[in-house]
Amino acid sequence: MSLPSEHLVRILFNEVFHYRKLVVAIFFLVNAVMLALGLSWPKDYTASTTILVEEKRIIQPLMEGAAVATDVADRARLAREVIYGRKTMSQVMEYAGWLKGNPDQKDQDRIIQGLTKRTVVTNVGKNIIRIDYRDSDPERAFRTTEKLADLFIAESLAAKAAESQSAYDFIDRQAEEYHEKLIKAEEQLKEFRSANLEARSGSDADVGARLNQLQLRMDQATQDLKEAEVKKISLEKQLSGEAEIASTLSREGQFRSRIAELQSRLETLRLSYHETYPDIVQLKNQINDLNQAIVEDQQQRAAAKASGHVVLNEGMINSPLYQQLKRELSQTQVTIETLNARIGEARRELALELERGKRMHGGEAALSELTRDYQVNRDIYQDLLKRRENARVSASLDKDKQGLAIKIQEPAAFPREPSGLRFLHFVIGGLILGLAVPLGLLFGMIYLDPRIRSGMIISEKRKLPMMVTVPRLWSHDETLAVMRNVQWLMLAMVGTFSMVALTVILRLMTII
Amino acid sequence: MSKIEKALNKARSTGALQVVHPRASRATEEAPSDISSATSAPIALIEQRGNASKAIARMQEKKLLDKHVLNENRIIYPEMGENDTVRAFREIRTKIIQKTQGLNCKIMVTSVTSGGGSSFVTLNLGVAFAFDAGKTALLLDCHFTNPSLHRLFGPGTFRGLTDYLDNTDMDIAEIIHPVGIERLRVIPSGGRREIPAEYFTSAKMKQLLDSIKQRYRERYIIIDAPPMTSSADTQILAELCDYVILVVPYGRVRDSNIDECIKAIGEKKLLGIIFNNEPDPPALQWKRILNPFIALWEIISHPFKKTSGVPSEKK
Repeated sequence: MSLPSEHLVRILFNEVFHYRKLVVAIFFLVNAVMLALGLSWPKDYTASTTILVEEKRIIQPLMEGAAVATDVADRARLAREVIYGRKTMSQVMEYAGWLKGNPDQKDQDRIIQGLTKRTVVTNVGKNIIRIDYRDSDPERAFRTTEKLADLFIAESLAAKAAESQSAYDFIDRQAEEYHEKLIKAEEQLKEFRSANLEARSGSDADVGARLNQLQLRMDQATQDLKEAEVKKISLEKQLSGEAEIASTLSREGQFRSRIAELQSRLETLRLSYHETYPDIVQLKNQINDLNQAIVEDQQQRAAAKASGHVVLNEGMINSPLYQQLKRELSQTQVTIETLNARIGEARRELALELERGKRMHGGEAALSELTRDYQVNRDIYQDLLKRRENARVSASLDKDKQGLAIKIQEPAAFPREPSGLRFLHFVIGGLILGLAVPLGLLFGMIYLDPRIRSGMIISEKRKLPMMVTVPRLWSHDETLAVMRNVQWLMLAMVGTFSMVALTVILRLMTII
Repeated sequence: MSKIEKALNKARSTGALQVVHPRASRATEEAPSDISSATSAPIALIEQRGNASKAIARMQEKKLLDKHVLNENRIIYPEMGENDTVRAFREIRTKIIQKTQGLNCKIMVTSVTSGGGSSFVTLNLGVAFAFDAGKTALLLDCHFTNPSLHRLFGPGTFRGLTDYLDNTDMDIAEIIHPVGIERLRVIPSGGRREIPAEYFTSAKMKQLLDSIKQRYRERYIIIDAPPMTSSADTQILAELCDYVILVVPYGRVRDSNIDECIKAIGEKKLLGIIFNNEPDPPALQWKRILNPFIALWEIISHPFKKTSGVPSEKK
């Protein structure tokens, strides 16, 4: 239901009048309940202390980069962890007098739980931690808070020193470990080097050059060999031809020149004589004999050729060319033998050299790995050494309490006045709530109830020729009854106020 | 409050005016027969008005009801002065007169829901009309199941509407009763509680309404009808009337209920809506309320005064 405020106020007023008894009853009840609550509410005293945690000291810029300061990120969380810890709580319990009645373990746990619940640790500023502790006994509240702060400071410093020390110890251990590794790597490298002498830088190029040289030599020799072989074949060819021609020329030639001479004489004689002339006959016989001799010689030579024996007969002349060829052939033969041997040698050397090259490559890989290991170990070791020095400085800083400055900014004060909700709050709250609750309820009813409570709503929506609101007509007796009723209700209100006032007075006089 | 009313009130209170109770016959109370055949000529109308006023003045009244009785019955009376309820009814009356341009009419008053206060509105609207010495009102109780207007008559049975509709030979005058309020007449519901809807549609009912309307030009007929939502007869009755007034009780009906009723009545016949019974607190006499507290305070503070006074006396 949407109504303008003046209509709403008017309706609210009418409804309050209509439900006046209920309103007064709620007012009374709320006040009574709030008074009872106020009286039974436990008194609490809160003591608080603030602790300044600062690490920006003179030492810091000096040690910049060398010492690592503990992070300040969430000091309250760290503080909570320290304060709520069993160790701190046990000490606090003892100091603040919780253990007077010799409580058993279960009760102690309960007390610690209560302590934890009533202790509030907050980060006030960037570096300020505030510890609040609430207790029904002001003395105990004060003592507990004081102790909590002291314990927190002691614990923080100890924890920080321990942290630095453990960091140093760890780095130290690591450094030792790497030192050992480094030594091992060095030894391995040395061993490898001595085992593989050729495995040094540059030997790769050496091998390459040598291989080239050998290859060149072998190529040269092969070439020479080929040449020598060609020469040999040619010499042999020449040699076989030359021997025959030489022998033929020596005997057959003589025969043929003789035949030719005899033939010319015969021709001359034939010019003057008959065939029967003796000279001519003689000549003819001589020529036949000579031809016979040629044929015999030829046959003899062929037979010799077939048997392989060169039959030197008295007619054969020793050919000088043949001799020379023979000599050269023999020389070539020697050259070929030499070249073959050389090529074989070069091939062997080449194979050796290749083997060496292969071995050298494997060795180089192993060497680089060993070297790498050695370098990595060396780098880490050096770094660790540097870090160890930093850690040593940090640890000694913390040991001398120079790294972190924790001090009590505001010491715990003895709480004179109880904190939290006080009796007066309940009284005032009761008076306000006593009015607000019934009014709120009525307002809610008006707001949620769809039934019409204002003539304005009817006329607003419709175009009506007439719209009149008739207020209730009270009869005389009704008016009197209302007046009596109002009197009683006023009495009830006065009674409620008196009750409240009386309770307050009694409370102030500390009777209740 | 009109000037005439004010003057009348003043005269009444000073005793300058005495209500005349002419011992006229019942016939004289009823309208002269020539009124129904009144001419439209202005002079005749004025004459007729004058005659009507005279006739009204001659109306036979019962012993007038005491203010106390009126108050107990929650009926307004002129001496209430500037009471908000009285002002509201005067406003309604004026608006009706404006709407009908001074002519009398049949107005049905019905409520959205039962117990919505239609009888209260009917009665007080009639009274508001009767405030004016020149006007008269006739209330017709059609609220058969739960009639209320008869309570004004006091003990005894009175013939009413159902009796008239049952008896063919009954005269209208027999069922019109004075109630002890000047210029106000009432037709009670009658002896029978159950009547069929056909009674409303009967020619006799229509004739009755027409005749009582026409008998006096200055007489406003106001009919108290059952709530729209509980009786179908109301709609039939609405057909017989000139206008309908819808009573909406405070905090009891929803907007949609009103819409339904308006739809049933029809926009043409709806004269308006009366938002009834707004729980405005009565004018309280705070001095009277606070008196006991003041007395109590005096009792409480008295001994202290005395004790404080005692040492000074000793001194």
